[in-house]
Parts: sequence; structure tokens; C-alpha cells
Amino acid sequence: MADVSLHGIAKSYGVTEILRDIDLTIDDGEFVVFVGPSGCGKSTLLRTIAGLENASAGELRIGGKRVNEMPPAERKIAMVFQSYALYPHMSVYKNMAFGLKFAKTNKADVDRRVRRAAEILKLSALLDRKPRELSGGQRQRVAIGRAIVREPSVFLFDEPLSNLDAALRVNTRLEIAKLHRELGATMIYVTHDQVEAMTLASKIVVMNQGRIEQVGAPLELYHNPRNLFVAGFIGSPRMNLIKGQVRSVSGGSVTLAFTGAETSVDVVPGTLRAGDEVTIGVRPEHMADAGANTIALEGRIDAVERLGEASYVYMKLASGDDVIVRSPGDVEAAPGGRYTAHLPGRALHVFNAAGQSVQFGK
Amino acid sequence: MSDITASGVQPAESVSVRSRFPVHVAVFLAPALAIYTLFSIYPLIDTIRLSFYTGDESGARHFAGLANFYTLLTDPAWSGHFWNALRNNLVFFAVHMVVQNAIGLGLAMLLSLPRLTGGSVYRTLLFLPTMLSVVIIGFIWQLMLNPLWGIAEKILSAVGLGSFFGPWLGQETTALITISLISVWQFVGIPMMLIYAALLNIPDDLLDAAIVDGAGPFSVFWFVRLPLILPTLGVVSILTFVANFNAFDLIYAIKGALAGPNFSTDILGTFFYRTFFGYQLQVGSPTMGATVATAMLIIILLGVLIYLFGVQRRLQRHTF
Repeated sequence: MADVSLHGIAKSYGVTEILRDIDLTIDDGEFVVFVGPSGCGKSTLLRTIAGLENASAGELRIGGKRVNEMPPAERKIAMVFQSYALYPHMSVYKNMAFGLKFAKTNKADVDRRVRRAAEILKLSALLDRKPRELSGGQRQRVAIGRAIVREPSVFLFDEPLSNLDAALRVNTRLEIAKLHRELGATMIYVTHDQVEAMTLASKIVVMNQGRIEQVGAPLELYHNPRNLFVAGFIGSPRMNLIKGQVRSVSGGSVTLAFTGAETSVDVVPGTLRAGDEVTIGVRPEHMADAGANTIALEGRIDAVERLGEASYVYMKLASGDDVIVRSPGDVEAAPGGRYTAHLPGRALHVFNAAGQSVQFGK
Repeated sequence: MSDITASGVQPAESVSVRSRFPVHVAVFLAPALAIYTLFSIYPLIDTIRLSFYTGDESGARHFAGLANFYTLLTDPAWSGHFWNALRNNLVFFAVHMVVQNAIGLGLAMLLSLPRLTGGSVYRTLLFLPTMLSVVIIGFIWQLMLNPLWGIAEKILSAVGLGSFFGPWLGQETTALITISLISVWQFVGIPMMLIYAALLNIPDDLLDAAIVDGAGPFSVFWFVRLPLILPTLGVVSILTFVANFNAFDLIYAIKGALAGPNFSTDILGTFFYRTFFGYQLQVGSPTMGATVATAMLIIILLGVLIYLFGVQRRLQRHTF
């Protein structure tokens, strides 16, 4: 069991900077998810923690010990790869026991650990099979089993579910969460799927262009995104963003004008001045119901996606802004028709011209 | 809608078309089949047929059954040369297997290093001798190793190893090994390329996983990469075997058909050449030549069969 801390970690290939100035502390037993668009550096960061890449700068500590110079095997980590990376010429048993061979574990101990891991992952009947005789889900479990038998302090997962079909993905997600509860080990998980991030993480790290944009608990990021990037990345379908302008400021309250309507919002005092351009963010699920303080916004329907429990109405407002409304499943709406979205007075996110939230830390 | 019903009727017709003899298949196969038959299958069968005949002074041929083979294996005038050629050929093959394929594997490993710069230049340079004519290779090496004015002695002297130099191509004890090594130098590019391609085929994730599992560079090679390229090593071995037992040109280019000194570089190819066409005082015999050729065919066939049934069945091709 160990905590992981990164201080000023940077990574560059020649002049290309992949990671810049990453500071992050991961507590013992935490489940941390790195999430971000492809190419944001999240996998590189994971590989740096694993020791498969060397950091160009900064210090990496695992369990309080500096590990920058240590080879992967000595860092007490285990990694699960997106492609599973099972040795195709070895049986399931040998795949799982392979790492222990180098740790000079005695035979009886190897056998005990492999069989226990196989039991946890329901692989006991498959130990003599070769990877090619297994289904995708089973291969995934073998890859996880290979990590478990090494009894690492930190588990590293590199997009482990992206090669599975949708139903299996949900199942395996639950199993990984269960595994985390049972083992209590620190886990670091990379994904581009924000549903995985939201459901698994005790802490999400949102990354973009080699930088950490925001770190926090899933709901914290959902409710208080620090900037436009996080606001747009967390939540599905993505947050609606509407252009607006500051009409007047009085202390911590500003009046915003947008698409022909006005509303007052509380912000951090001093962050906005009258006349500033702002972006107003509001989540699709907050725009369906009319209420006491809501502002009705009318528009034309472009498309309707019916999911059963909800329908996503894609509409264009009179001002030209596109918004998505999460409406009840059986809502009466058809493309080309008119629809009314209801902008709540609360649950509004306001970002300044630089894309930073003016409510963050309030 | 009418189109759909129309096409719905057609299957009955197309079934009858399908069950007829597939003329187009025969048409496409015919050119290749004709060429192979004319230049490969027919000569092969006729060679085997000829090995059962014997010719007299008048040039007439009579069926002789297995008499030629009996002569080849037991007559002192023939069998000594035959067994000598076979033994030399096995040495020639062993040197290729041990030296050529090991160096090919080593070069392929070096080429697949991720941080290697100029890899494609090395690749091309190492493959270059393979593309040169064997006659040129033989000539160049003969010049270089010449004990009177060859460059080899000067180079060795320059680094203080001059005392090790000898007329390697002229000594009975060293000539065969020297020629084998020249051949290795020329053809090392082929195993290198095949193994290099197989190594590139192994996903990086697999090697990363082994590193995370604690395997050092040697263990990664021994436990992960080597088992995964075994099928390719098998193919390389069988290609080497067939090429070596059909070899002739390099020895002919350097040593002539007498494969001197004192037949110490004589392999089955040169032995066959002298038997069939004759050389200097030896009179050529088409029927004995056909017998030697058939014997070579049997030897190669045996080797390939042993490989196919003994080795290849146990090699598992891996998909990643």
C-alpha cells in the first residue's frame, strides 16, 4: 500500500512537450482516474509512473520513496494494458506467474497466489488455456489477474475497457470497482471515457495538452468545473454554452444579458466588469423543467434522440446558439417543430473571456 | 420492388452455373501450370526416370533399375566422392545455421532497437551483398584472401594479427569453412530481414508488460521475443537447408568444379556438375548425373519432411 506523489513532472521528446509541470498527490488506497481527450498526455503520465518512460524533469515518489531512477519492477506497481498484452505462447497460469519468476518467489507461494487470483476473477477453470482460446472479457481478467498476483502497492490501468463491447464494459467496470474495495490498493486508471471516470474514481484528474486542468471528486468536477474545458469534458451530453455579456455588477452579483434575456448570478467579487464577454454554461439535464425562477428560451428543433428514459432535444435558439435539452422520454417533439428550454436561475456556470470560471472557489 | 423479385428468381439459375465446371479457374491456372510443367515438373520426372537407365559406349540406354544408385553408394570410385560431398555439405549447412542465422538474429535485434538512428541505412547496407552476383562475391573474396597480394593479410597485420593469416582458401583444413563464411557474409541479410519483420510484429505492449513484470533485457528476449519468433526461425532454417543443399555457384566461382584442394570443398552441387557434364579427365554421364540429382532430391525431401512433420507441427503461429 502506498501513496504516489508527483512534483513538477515534465516529459518531452526533443522539442515536443508531452507533459508540463505535473503536480499531483494520490493518497494511499485512492482510486484516481486520469481523463482527457486523446493526445492529452494521460497515458504518458501513467507510463512515467510505471517507469516505462523517464520523466524529463520533476520527482516521482511512491510510498514516500523517490523512484525516478528505479526500473518498473522495483516500484511495486502492476500495470494492465489496453491490449491486455498477454503472452500468447503461455497458458493463463504461466501468464499470471511470469512476473513472480523474477521476484524469486518460491513455487508453493506462486501457486497459492495464482490460484487465489484465479478464484477472485473466476478464472480457475481456464488456467491451462492459451490466451487465444479466451474471450475478450476473459483475457481482460487474466491481465488483471497478472497484476493481482504481484501484490503491488499501486495498480495502473491503461484504458483497460476500451477493447470490450458495451455490455461487458459495464460488468468489468463494476468488477474493477469491487476489486478496489476488496484489495484496498491505490489504483490509477487512464480512460477517455468520462462515464468510466465518473463511476470509478474517488478522484478525477482532468488533463488537456499535457497539463492538469482540474483535480477533484467526480461530483465536484461536475458541479464546479474550474474552466470551460472541464465543463465541456465532464458530463454527457456536454454542457450547453451560450454567449452573453455582463450588463451590470454589484458586489458579488452580476447581471448577465444573453439571447435576449437577463438573469443575475453570484460570482467571486471583482472577477467581472460591466461589458465583459462571458460564456454561460448550463447542463442539458437542468433545462427541461419550467419553474419559478426559470427563463423560457424558445427555438427550433434540429433533432431528437430518444433513449427511452430520456430524450435529447437538439435545438437552435433564436440567437443562433445550439443547445441540448434532456427532456422526459416521451416528450412530444419532432425535428422542425418549436420547443421551449427552461434556463434555471441556479445551476448556471459563468466563464470569463479566458474560459476560467468566475464562480470557482466561491 | 420488381427488381427484388427478379433477383429472387435467379438463384435457381446461378446454382446450375455454379455446379458446372469452373472454366475461369482453369483459365487462370493454365499459364502458371503450363510453365511449371514444362520447366519444373517434366524435367524433375524425366530426371528421376533417367536415373533408372544406364548408357553404353554406343550411346544407347537400357533400363537398369536401381543399379546406378547401387553404384553410387557402394562402388569405391563413386561412393567416396558422394559421401565426401554429403559430409562437406552438412558442414556447409551447419556453418550457415550456427553463424549466419545467429548473426542474422543478432542484427535483427539491433535493428529493432527503438532508439537506433539510421536503421534503414544499416538495413540496406547489410542486405547489399545478397543482391550482388555470386560470381562477383567469389571473385572479390578470392582477391582479398589471396596470400600473395590480397588485402586481408595487410589488414590483419595492421591490427597486429598478421601471424594468424594463412592461405585459408588453399588449405584442405580451412577451405570449406572459409567458403561457408563467405556465403554467410553474402546471405546474412535474408535471415536478418525475415527475423526483423517477425520482431516488428510483436506488439510493444507485450514487451512493456514483460518489463513491468520484472524481466531484464535478456529475459525479455529469452522468454518473450524468442518464443514468438520461433516459427520464423523454423522457416529460416528450412530455407537455409534447401539453399545449402542446392548450392553450387559460389564453390564453382572460387574453386571450379574440382572443388579443391583435393575435393575438400566438394558439395553435392559440384559433385553433380562433374558427374553430369564431366570435367577435365572425367567423362560426363547423364544417367549417373540424374542419379546424383535424384539422390539430392531425396536428401532435400527428407530434410523438408522431417521439418514439416517433426518441427513445424509443434510451432504455434501467434496472432496478437
